[in-house]
Amino acid sequence: MHNNDITPDSLNTLYVTPENCRFYSVKAGFLGAEIGGETHDRVILKRAMPFKDPDHYICITDVEKNELGIIRDLAEFPADQQALIGEELGLRYFCPVITDILSIKEKMGHFYFDVKIGDVKKSFTVKDISKNVRAHGSNVDITDVDGNRFRITDFSAINAKSRRKLEPYLY
Amino acid sequence: MKKNMKNLPPPPEKGGLSPAEQQAFTAAGLPAQDVLYACKGDMDESLCYCTSWLWFGADKITVVIGQEEIGPAKKKKSRRLTPEITVERHADFAVADVTEITCERYVSTGRLIFRKDKEIVYAISFSMSCIEAFDRFAKAYASYKEKGVIDLPKEDDKKPGTCKKCGAPCDPDKEYCKKHNKTGATAVRLFGFFGGYVPQIIVIVAIMLLGSAIAVFVPQISTRRLFDDVLADAAGTGSQQALAAVGTLVLSIFGIKVLNTALSSFRQYIQGTIMPSVIYDIKVKIFKAMQRLSVGFYSSKQTGSLMDRVMRDATNIYWFFVDGIPGIITEMTTVIGVLIMMFIMNAKLSLLILVLAPTVFILLFVGEKLWRSMHHKTWVYRSKVSSMVSDNIQGQREIKAFAKEDEEYGRFEKASGAFRDAELKLALTEATVFPLAEVVVLLLTVIVLGIGSLMVARGDSSMTTGTLLSYIVYLQMLTEPFDFLAWVSNWWSRCADSAQRVFEIVDAPAEITEKEDAVSLEDFQGNIEIKDLDFEYEPARPVIKAFNLKIDAGQMLGIVGKTGAGKSTIANLIARLYDPKKGSIKLDGIDLRDIRFDSLRKNIGLVSQDIYLFMGSIADNIRYAKPDATMDEVIAAAKAAAAHDFIMKLPDAYETYVGSGGQKLSGGEKQRISIARTIIQDPKILILDEATAAMDTETERNIQNSLSKLKTGRTTLAIAHRLSTLRDADCLAVIEEGTLIEYGTFAELIEQKGAFYKLYELQNEALKAAGILQDETNDEEDEGEED
Repeated sequence: MHNNDITPDSLNTLYVTPENCRFYSVKAGFLGAEIGGETHDRVILKRAMPFKDPDHYICITDVEKNELGIIRDLAEFPADQQALIGEELGLRYFCPVITDILSIKEKMGHFYFDVKIGDVKKSFTVKDISKNVRAHGSNVDITDVDGNRFRITDFSAINAKSRRKLEPYLY
Repeated sequence: MKKNMKNLPPPPEKGGLSPAEQQAFTAAGLPAQDVLYACKGDMDESLCYCTSWLWFGADKITVVIGQEEIGPAKKKKSRRLTPEITVERHADFAVADVTEITCERYVSTGRLIFRKDKEIVYAISFSMSCIEAFDRFAKAYASYKEKGVIDLPKEDDKKPGTCKKCGAPCDPDKEYCKKHNKTGATAVRLFGFFGGYVPQIIVIVAIMLLGSAIAVFVPQISTRRLFDDVLADAAGTGSQQALAAVGTLVLSIFGIKVLNTALSSFRQYIQGTIMPSVIYDIKVKIFKAMQRLSVGFYSSKQTGSLMDRVMRDATNIYWFFVDGIPGIITEMTTVIGVLIMMFIMNAKLSLLILVLAPTVFILLFVGEKLWRSMHHKTWVYRSKVSSMVSDNIQGQREIKAFAKEDEEYGRFEKASGAFRDAELKLALTEATVFPLAEVVVLLLTVIVLGIGSLMVARGDSSMTTGTLLSYIVYLQMLTEPFDFLAWVSNWWSRCADSAQRVFEIVDAPAEITEKEDAVSLEDFQGNIEIKDLDFEYEPARPVIKAFNLKIDAGQMLGIVGKTGAGKSTIANLIARLYDPKKGSIKLDGIDLRDIRFDSLRKNIGLVSQDIYLFMGSIADNIRYAKPDATMDEVIAAAKAAAAHDFIMKLPDAYETYVGSGGQKLSGGEKQRISIARTIIQDPKILILDEATAAMDTETERNIQNSLSKLKTGRTTLAIAHRLSTLRDADCLAVIEEGTLIEYGTFAELIEQKGAFYKLYELQNEALKAAGILQDETNDEEDEGEED
């Protein structure tokens, strides 16, 4: 197959734009969409690059997991549509932002984190720290033993004490 | 803390509300008396952390959002901790209206959804820590709606991921959190490896103590007595008596040194006899622990990292115990002995030293903290480099095919560079902290020399020239232990870091365990019965749902379905590589979990899609399941697997070396050896999971024919994408999304024109398009598929 053959049309990929796609909020907190004239009462959004490029290539599927289209760039959509999309993505990719690391204690290969998320104190355990604490640009993403995710949005901006605690494990 | 533990409020019944919760909710006017099933969450619908409760009774489902704080009771003068529950808001739903509750799993949260006929209602969100509880809630509700009773599979007493004592978060594999983890300190556990060598250790320690005591007394004779008694008396006289005194002293010193050397050699001899055994024990323990772990453990770890644990970590521990521990004992006893002698000689000066000495320990303490994390960092980088090398070697074909040699080299250079930088940083830190500690020791020597000389000059009776000189010798003797302790703390960091990783494997619980009263399969026929089987690798992500199937002994059953339908999971469950979450699999009426492992493995042969050949000859590999198989049996098995012909074409035939570093075989050839390996085992149940996928149609046919001959009295489960190959199966089961949707013979299913028919038609169309259908024996090329 030549490269020229790989086009959105040949692979039935529909890159949606504000012209052919409109999202709307459905009662009970679900997201609906009108794509290419068809109405879908509940759509599901999934990021293709959730860590490195969360605002590009967002896949839209129905509840049966059939792909309806792909948002190439979220910024193409108007602000109100972005807010709706953001709300749905926020629910799926919920990732509270750590504002302060109170302590990291290591015992038998398990790392016990006490952190602050805004004003709320939170404790969680991380195993396989080299795999579950990952830096993506200035962000640091942490996944605990249950699969909960936490993020430090700008590692260089977090207070020095917190930075010193996490730094030895950040590579 | 123990007192606090006793004071904790009693936990709620499984699926119920605690008395305190019932009281608080009843006071808030909520229907908390009539609770059939309840669970607790940690978020509200807008993903804010809080406490949420959800329960259903005969009529209502209630969702409560509030807060819970556990602390000492405010009103009563009891020390018992009680939960303070605040109800912020609640919502009720009628059980009659809610037809179904589903638990949706997202990336890092979950959501419970109520279905009211066609309407869906978003009920509540929760974090991943609670997903299992909410998933069980949804199942409990489904069971109640369907049967009028809550019929859930038995759950462990403890909720995974929470401490059994305080409810704090912890590893799902562990029972306790960091505070209540009773696995014990690393050092204590490491010493446990020496449990079988107590007499030898007592001898070693006794020799060390004796050696240290001798070393401490040497300056008393060689310095103080020489200067104050012998030389002071004999100075300038040259008398026979004086010379004799000097001679006796020199001989005494020589004798002491000889004795010390002899003791040291004896100690090293005993040490040399036990240390290799200890390291053998550690390595065997890690390896044994790794063997009992489930397949899931291996898929989550990198090979390089695991190999590092067995080899390098055990060696790190070894060297610390060979050189480190004996050194610590010797040096510590020397320090204590020297300090005692110094105090006896001059208490005031010794007190001054004791005041300054903690500086050295502070430096060492800080250094130890730094080194520990740095060692961890270098270990991670080293593992990454190891994994990268192993990845690169295994993927050489792809690297060459895509001409990515330079990029791969770049990646390796970058990872190696990071490893080098981490090692450099560690070396620089060591080079900074060690000299600092030495400067402090040097300072102490200078102070002693100054003050002591002044005391001698003033004619202080407590300080003679001999005393001062021996005092300085003692001080110098302290330098060595300080240096050693500074160095050993670094060493200990490395050992403790390694030990932690070793214990992580040793402590990891095996997911699949054998019951104590497990039975052997006597006169096994090969009947399989799968009943109400539910399975999921992760909570709320079901892979197999309410699956029922009965296969009679001697039958051949074909399992078909789309990729990801759950076919291989069924095979793995029958082989008991995983345990079902609900329901059962029975062999001749006995639950798999009640059967001894050896009996089960002997009777079930599994040929999976991923073939692994061990290092050794082809004959060794075929004999893997039956090491005492005769050559007749090996050849018969190879013939049945259509492997004999290609094996005989190899220059070394059955003695061809395969596996890592051995003869390259094609995917189809490896599969055939794997089938032969299973046939020789002669299992009553044979599971072929895409076992012939890498073969051409003709070879596959040959194997099918051979297996047909062998299948008398053998139950065979064949999973295949190529539907035509299942034509001879007695029955076919069609699976879709983990559920059995069709069952019958090939002809029956074609006639039904259902899902199987569709799949069959699709394949036929594809084959027609490729020009293969007219003659199904037209081969798919097998050659050149080297692995």
